[in-house]
Amino acid sequence: MTLPDPIDKLGERLFQAARREPLPDEGMERALLAARAELAAPRSKLILLSRPVRWTLIAAAAAALAAGVTLFARHQDAIDRISAEPASTLQHAHSAQAPSASAIALTAAPNPAPSTKPAPIFSAAAPAHSAQASLSDELGALKRASSALNAGDTRGALTALDQYDHVLKGTKMRAEATLLRIETLARAGQAGAASELAQRFVAQNPESPLVDRARSFVQQ
Amino acid sequence: MSGPPSKVLPAGSAQESATELSLESLVADHYGFVWRVLRGFGLTPTDAEDATQQVFMIAARKLDTIDPQRARSFVYGAALRVANNTRRGLRRRREVSDDEASSRLEPEERGPEALTELGKARSLLADLLDQLSEKHRRVLVLAEIEQLEVPQIAALEGVPVGTAASRLRVAREQFRVLLDAARDRNPFLEQP
Repeated sequence: MTLPDPIDKLGERLFQAARREPLPDEGMERALLAARAELAAPRSKLILLSRPVRWTLIAAAAAALAAGVTLFARHQDAIDRISAEPASTLQHAHSAQAPSASAIALTAAPNPAPSTKPAPIFSAAAPAHSAQASLSDELGALKRASSALNAGDTRGALTALDQYDHVLKGTKMRAEATLLRIETLARAGQAGAASELAQRFVAQNPESPLVDRARSFVQQ
Repeated sequence: MSGPPSKVLPAGSAQESATELSLESLVADHYGFVWRVLRGFGLTPTDAEDATQQVFMIAARKLDTIDPQRARSFVYGAALRVANNTRRGLRRRREVSDDEASSRLEPEERGPEALTELGKARSLLADLLDQLSEKHRRVLVLAEIEQLEVPQIAALEGVPVGTAASRLRVAREQFRVLLDAARDRNPFLEQP
């Protein structure tokens, strides 16, 4: 068999430029985090998600749009603007749904004096950045959260995620952090809080590669 | 039996550790391949990164069923599907709002004058590959960017070796014609 002709030198240099294109910074780590989150996914929820539910979610996203919530095409950009409240706030907001005492014991971060009006889980305002955390710092916090979650230590995971949100004021891996928080809440028995956070994630980040994963936590 | 500890994330239980190693090796071994293939299929760097994540999320779901010897075939097939979905989504968005689409352009799409020589080369390459049919584009990307041999391409594409060779020959002929037609855009033209 005759081998196909090679591309000439000018063409070869174009392909060489493609071969030398640098991979995304920390892209491999992000992919691994996303894949690991998928690996730990409750499969049945993914399977049970029916088409009507999908349309309901799409309608919810449209409603969010109508309410003036800006949707961003890039999930990272979008989530950069989201300021998640501490786990303790989430717990406060959903304490009525907490099924067990162990969930109450999850309060990880010191909470300011409880307000009669719980703070919103998300704020559309951009977080104030006192200092820009490096990607390594952000990745480190998420590694700790992921490791704690894998070990069944949901409290430790929430502490690491609170650190990501409020100490590091992380922005670069916000999507992954939010998904980890959703999973942690679900694992801790706070299904209602996990579902609400997941719904907001889906509505505000319809094009995120993590959106299906988040959707699997939305309660019907 | 156990391998080296995770470089990225600490392992959990012993069972999780075994699974994690598989997943880690899958990502470590094929991340660059998947990302470059997706770039070759016309996705911007940012879209390619998102799509690469999706490929490995799909792989994670199927991890137990993936034959380690055929892992590259699996991620390649997943990359094809994800690339098609991503491009469909992009087309829909552009139909909805041209203004929004133009505001989302990657630096490489903002005009050749703003690009480095390598950027210009990649932009030109993307334009040329866009003009090929899908099957010819795929074999050309695998041969010229991933530098795979024809039998390897045939295996990934699931076609006989003769078919892959034939497609590659046609793809190269068409590419050469397109390249000639775009000679004035080739940043390497005047260099020895």
